[in-house]
Amino acid sequence: MAPKKDAKKAEPAKKAEPAPAPAPAPAPEPAPAPAPAGVDLAAVKVEFTPDQLEDYKEAFGLFDRVGDNKVAYNQIADIMRALGQNPTNKEVKKILGNPSADDMANKRVEFEAFLPMLQFVVNSPNKASFEDYVEGLRVFDKEGNGTVMGAELRIVLSTLGEKMTEAEIDALMVGQEDENGCVNYEAFVKHILSV
Amino acid sequence: MDCRKEGCAQPQDEDIMDIPLDDPAANKAATKIQAGFRGHMTRKKMKDDKPREEKQREKK
Repeated sequence: MAPKKDAKKAEPAKKAEPAPAPAPAPAPEPAPAPAPAGVDLAAVKVEFTPDQLEDYKEAFGLFDRVGDNKVAYNQIADIMRALGQNPTNKEVKKILGNPSADDMANKRVEFEAFLPMLQFVVNSPNKASFEDYVEGLRVFDKEGNGTVMGAELRIVLSTLGEKMTEAEIDALMVGQEDENGCVNYEAFVKHILSV
Repeated sequence: MDCRKEGCAQPQDEDIMDIPLDDPAANKAATKIQAGFRGHMTRKKMKDDKPREEKQREKK
């Protein structure tokens, strides 16, 4: 006779795990909270006005290339950008539940499901201001004269953070470098924020 | 190969080494900037595409 297997595994009593000792925070900004497994979209209250919903539906429609009133996962970030938001690619992936590359290309979202995603980004407290961008770029202002080398900026954009492609960088930098290849970054940021 | 133009110091090897690839703060700052840039470019592209669409509608 085969030995009976226990239906349940005896679970050891769960000990309360000691919380990791909080690291001293010398940095002025608070330490980033550990990323939760995903975003609970069901808990997001959608608070857009009828006018906004109309605009959003129109933009959403522009992105629907299939005609099924849905858009692909890999279009979500761009629709949000079109609607005035600046999500990071990482943020969007988290909202989508950290999809695989396959999911990104093939899974589709309908408008009603998109709304809490957009609301989540709209509600996100980490909005970058003019000052944030300028401060970020000032790091690369070696001479402290309000300019950064276009070439250096290109390298930074293509090697740090969420790397940009050469084509993206070229499009971004059109008309921004002076005859010495320098970029006045305050003017640059103003230009960026104007659209 | 020294590509120094007059009045325009091209980044030399040492400058490239200065890019803080592993610095989380630098990467975080870069990510924020890139997010803003991508937002801007998408909106600009939508704006540029719109007049064309409107022109097409007017043709009808």
